[in-house]
Amino acid sequence: MTEAFSWVFDGLLVIALVIVAARVVFTPVLFKAIVMFIVFGLLMAIAWGRLDAPHVALAEAAIGAGITGALLLAAYSDLVSVRRRRPHLRPRVRVLRRHAFFAASAALAFAALALVLLQVPAPESGAGTLAVANLDATGVAEGVTAVLLDFRAYDTLLEMAVLLLAVYGARAVLVTDSEPRPDPWPTEGRHGSMVAALVGVLAPLIVVTAGYLLWVGAYGPGGAFQAGAVLAALGVLLRLTGRLEPAAASSWPQRLVLVAGLIVFSLVGLATLFAGGTFLDYPEAWAYPLVLLIEIALTVSIALPLILLFSGSPGLATPAPEDRR
Amino acid sequence: MSWHEWLAVPLLLSGAVFFLTGTIGLVRFPDTWSRLHAVTKADNVGLGLMVAGLASLSASAAVAFKLVLVWVLAMLAATFSCHLISRYSLRESERDDR
Repeated sequence: MTEAFSWVFDGLLVIALVIVAARVVFTPVLFKAIVMFIVFGLLMAIAWGRLDAPHVALAEAAIGAGITGALLLAAYSDLVSVRRRRPHLRPRVRVLRRHAFFAASAALAFAALALVLLQVPAPESGAGTLAVANLDATGVAEGVTAVLLDFRAYDTLLEMAVLLLAVYGARAVLVTDSEPRPDPWPTEGRHGSMVAALVGVLAPLIVVTAGYLLWVGAYGPGGAFQAGAVLAALGVLLRLTGRLEPAAASSWPQRLVLVAGLIVFSLVGLATLFAGGTFLDYPEAWAYPLVLLIEIALTVSIALPLILLFSGSPGLATPAPEDRR
Repeated sequence: MSWHEWLAVPLLLSGAVFFLTGTIGLVRFPDTWSRLHAVTKADNVGLGLMVAGLASLSASAAVAFKLVLVWVLAMLAATFSCHLISRYSLRESERDDR
């Protein structure tokens, strides 16, 4: 009974994923495509949950659906304002129908590959088995956090560098666009007192949730990436409701937060190197506090770049009290 | 089946009925406001009945508390998104009238 129900549920989920994915690609209306993309992310999060991968489900919901959706909507609203001011610059949205043949061939090739891969027997002992066997040495009880911050800490360090580079890349593009642009999120008169009240209720809840996700990462699904994405969602809300305003330059505390993850991570790595060990190989007694320290720094250094990317400004500022509506 | 399972079945079923009618209303109703009316009312009560059913199925106070928290937050989000969507479509329709 339960198994039959699982099959029906998973089957419906797969069909919905395929239909929504097709809608994302084939919808000629850009706004609909974005909304469908967000729906796709949420369905995908449920699919990851069904596959017993709550970490990926959390990341997909927070980053894939939430932050990416907000970024796409921000880009869309910018696009609309560009079209309004310069109608001759009408970017064409091409429907990919004529590429159906290539899509079908690609799907066929993928299916053939998947069929071959399914025949290959699973390796007797891969990196995963080794990692689980050595989990005790990492100071954290959660496998995914151990992999991210211990077994492949170097990769995570480089990912933080990539995120920082992305922010500076976006900023470089921003500077070359010399034409002054209207803020895509004008606040005056658009949001009533209800939205302000909602943000007032949600802000502390979001901070608590982010803190919980950060803390629980050591022994359950959670961690710096999910916590950072949740904090970034708060930043998006504050930016949308005018509690945070774009600034022409980032203040030095903001710059510090941007690089905190990279610096703390690198310093810990150098310290382990000079203490006579390998780069980023924590001594066993220190493993948990070091991982926690790195996770805290990573969380803020993940959240701020995402907020800046959404805001589309080099920095953020709180509005002067008399401007607040 | 124990008593809390007997309690859960009708709650879950009536919750499902609310979701079904809300979805039919969302698909069939003619304009934004009646659609919102259908989907938010059904969502709030439907999710509430689901939460009540799941809480009694779990037979654990801690799980029930978390479920109720989910319900309250979902209602909060639904209320505000309903408000924003209806206000936006009201403004758009006023702009079209002019």
